[in-house]
Amino acid sequence: MLDVQDVTKRYTGKTAVDSVSFSTGEGRIFGLLGPNGAGKTTTIRMITYITTPDSGEIRFKNKVVGPWSQRLMGYLPEERGLYRRMKVGEQLVYLARLKGLDVPEAKKRIQYWLDRFDAGSWGSKRVDELSKGMQQKIQFIATILHEPELLIFDEPFSGLDPINSELLQSVIFELKSKGRTILFASHRMEQVEQLCDDICMISDGRIVANGSVRDIKSSFGRDTVRLDFSGSGTFISSLEADGLIRVVSQTTNTAELRLINGTASRRVLDEALGSVSDLYRFEVVEPSLHEIFVSVINSSRAAAGQVKTASGEQQ
Amino acid sequence: MSNSQTVIIAQREYFQRLKSRSFIITTALGPIILLVLIAVPILIAVFANDETAKVISIVDESGQISQLLELPDSYSIDRLERPVDSLRAMVNRDQLSGYLLLPATLVDGDGEAVFYSKGGGGIVAGETLRDAVTSAVRERRILDTGADAEVVDITRSRVPLRMRQITEEGDRTDATPVLAAFGYMMGFLIYICMILYGAMVMRGVIEEKTNRISELIASSAKPFQLLLGKILGIGALGLTQLLIWIAAGVLLSAVGTTIIASMVDMPDPAAMQTTQEQVEATNAITEYIPSIPPSYLIYFVFFFVGGYLFYASLMAAVGSAVEQESDAQQFMWPIIMPLIIPMVLLAQIVSNPDGGLAVAMSLIPLFSPIIMVVRMAATNVPHWQVLLAIVLLFGSFVGAVWLSSRIYRIGILSYGKKPTFGEIARWIRTS
Repeated sequence: MLDVQDVTKRYTGKTAVDSVSFSTGEGRIFGLLGPNGAGKTTTIRMITYITTPDSGEIRFKNKVVGPWSQRLMGYLPEERGLYRRMKVGEQLVYLARLKGLDVPEAKKRIQYWLDRFDAGSWGSKRVDELSKGMQQKIQFIATILHEPELLIFDEPFSGLDPINSELLQSVIFELKSKGRTILFASHRMEQVEQLCDDICMISDGRIVANGSVRDIKSSFGRDTVRLDFSGSGTFISSLEADGLIRVVSQTTNTAELRLINGTASRRVLDEALGSVSDLYRFEVVEPSLHEIFVSVINSSRAAAGQVKTASGEQQ
Repeated sequence: MSNSQTVIIAQREYFQRLKSRSFIITTALGPIILLVLIAVPILIAVFANDETAKVISIVDESGQISQLLELPDSYSIDRLERPVDSLRAMVNRDQLSGYLLLPATLVDGDGEAVFYSKGGGGIVAGETLRDAVTSAVRERRILDTGADAEVVDITRSRVPLRMRQITEEGDRTDATPVLAAFGYMMGFLIYICMILYGAMVMRGVIEEKTNRISELIASSAKPFQLLLGKILGIGALGLTQLLIWIAAGVLLSAVGTTIIASMVDMPDPAAMQTTQEQVEATNAITEYIPSIPPSYLIYFVFFFVGGYLFYASLMAAVGSAVEQESDAQQFMWPIIMPLIIPMVLLAQIVSNPDGGLAVAMSLIPLFSPIIMVVRMAATNVPHWQVLLAIVLLFGSFVGAVWLSSRIYRIGILSYGKKPTFGEIARWIRTS
């Protein structure tokens, strides 16, 4: 369906995307992950034929992408924007016509989707009368109106309240069940974990992990411990000081710890029992995607000699 | 498909702007401004001449010149003899506009005449008096030689010179001065439209970037199509506005002429002198306009449209390079300069329309929309030159859109910084 083959894109003095290859098929949700400035957006712009790669090629349905493929793709850019002074209905008709729909068909679909998003009466409103969240919904509708075979969402949930996020998520699953291919760029790992079948992590323009979420997670093994407890959590800092664990996250009553240097999970349990007053949960699990992301990015940057806390950059 | 994208984009530009409040306001205000521009000089001319004539007094020391002095009707001469002191006092009290001192030596061809006033009156007033005094003194001196009054009549006579233009069919009144003026006017019209609608294209491109919609559009159409659609849509809008204004102008001038004619029924020919001249000029123009060859008008439309398209696409390049309108200023001068240069050289082009400078400038696309239009009015330009200029102009237009789209491709993707000329050159090479 979509094949990105050894693609490189350089801007003056900087390689934004460096020999990136991945592919995805129909009915799958593909996550493109990476910290800010990793090259996600540049990659997407080459897929949508906004820019072209310096080397390598991008094939869609076995043909190199071009103006022909733009009609078969729907792109929701991270930088959202609409014509502010245009009416919602006119604007959606315009964007749909650019994607090859005729006016009557566009109008029919627009009404359907506006109703789905509780926005049935917005057609004659001007965009600048709408709230940010409402504009976001309009832009999402603009992305899917022409029923593209490949949908590209760059941070689709940012700025949406939980109810609308839920709605959006259900629509995305619905599109997936209709056999659409979805490419999803984000650094919000919980959502990626919930949505994606396959992921590709990139850092500084290079792929650092690529494969199905299942495979990537199991490749890291069950090396993470989750605890719910009450009482003193001091055992955590002493374990950390001994170099036996790394703290992934910690609150007053919960902790997620990564076992390092071959520490046995039993060791953590023993220490915990000696410290807490009650232990409600002790679970050995695969690391979360978030943790994988942080450690993969950190180690790739360490290898590149530019150690930075990727988690710090995420917020 | 590629054409349909351009058409869809052009349609949006056209209809969205047509409905916009600013378009309706400028379109409505246009004829009002036009009306004011037309009406004010006419009204001033009408009412200015209603004023009582300037009263001046003459101190004629020889006593031989004043009776020969012929002043236009806007002057009346106070012939009472008064001492200079009281004349001065009268000028100060505004009872007199001024007085003319003609020393006795003038009759001998010596000395100078002096006009005393509170100042003002303009350069023309000085010229009028100078001419009048010069002829009066000349006539006096001729008469003093004992010549007949007949000789004076001879010196007063003027020989009219008619300009005839030779054509294949024979000859006709040479319309060159009128055509040159017409070309001048057309040049200005093109200039104004380039500034007005070209800037609209530029703002449109910048607005899409500030609204962050460029990326969405770029995923649906090529930058070339987007910019071309914008330029064509806004161009169509400009033509619509011009047509509305022309229609309104024709209507208003018809109405205006009727009103003014009824206001000034049976005008005193003396008081109407300036207006009379205007009427004559208008008659002259209406007389000559049919003699403008239709090919000129067709060519004019080509240069008008081509000039807009070329300059608008250069403006689009500026819009593509910057993120905010305030940043556009530094990139505007390379576009404004070539527009100003021909306006400065227009007079020279009109006076020597077949010279090397005129020919060269009328072929260069940056200048041809103005210079060729003026040249065609002022002289018979060989057809090959006109066609070459048109081909060059439209070729440059396509080239400029292509160039702009290269800049656009990178310009939309790099938010937040203002590029330099060097960077833009690199964008064009690398995008």
